[in-house]
Amino acid sequence: MTSKELDTRFSELLLTEGSDSVGKTNKLEGQGSNDDVQITCFTEDLHDVTFHFQIIKLTKQIYVWIGCNTAKFGHLYAAAITRPNKTVAVTPVLGGTSDNTGSGIARRLVLKTGLNIIVACNIPKDSPTLEVTAERKLFEKLKSLGYIKPRPEGLPVSSAHN
Amino acid sequence: MYSSQPTRFPVTHKSVSLDIKGNKTDIVICKYDDKFLVIVTQIGCMGTILHARKEGSVSTEPTFSVSVIFGKRDEPWLLACGRQLIEHISCSGSSRPLVLSLGLKDHSPETLKELTVAVIENCLW
Repeated sequence: MTSKELDTRFSELLLTEGSDSVGKTNKLEGQGSNDDVQITCFTEDLHDVTFHFQIIKLTKQIYVWIGCNTAKFGHLYAAAITRPNKTVAVTPVLGGTSDNTGSGIARRLVLKTGLNIIVACNIPKDSPTLEVTAERKLFEKLKSLGYIKPRPEGLPVSSAHN
Repeated sequence: MYSSQPTRFPVTHKSVSLDIKGNKTDIVICKYDDKFLVIVTQIGCMGTILHARKEGSVSTEPTFSVSVIFGKRDEPWLLACGRQLIEHISCSGSSRPLVLSLGLKDHSPETLKELTVAVIENCLW
């Protein structure tokens, strides 16, 4: 089936600048700051590994891509808090069925942000050190961007069960 | 002596915001080494995620496979949108698969047509 006929009318079209520079956050113009899509891209060189991070914050969800040395997409996971007992559910969406690299990051992201999370990650299998390092750098950035809720005083590190 | 040059981020992205039938629609297109990611959202989250890829060898007419990998599996127009885009990617000379996320308030053909055109107008392939 081929189809070449498409309507070309738009009500409004706003074109924003594309960005592929290191450490830059782009914000789409929107009605209010809560509706803006915020895109943050940065790179961290750690020892002999280069991590690339891309964070796309939507109103009710955060998409994160973690690249380890390459810009391959990797495995895709979705994670969210489930009701009624507020545990975190993680599922592989694309790839990731034979190894779980990235699923732990997705789960802990949900715990820290309380938002739905989609994580794409190409960290090699059986590299827990790389995974931990990437996660630490990612959380530092999310905190600096204000996406992580501050932990109330006196409470231990959040766990999966409330 | 080597001068250090700032390296470009390896993933190119482009973002657009437009109004489709009164709904604010944000589109983000990302180009990875081995995939394209297109996020279209009206509801503040990624919504339904589809995977579309080209199949078939160089010598035969390409065929395309589109499937929902997360979310609504009963909206055929979402698949049609994915099918349009993967064919456009293929016609542009790329064999990369597409990960398409559609978080829409309405799934009417008119909306899907408008956002398909908007994605093609701003594509990175």
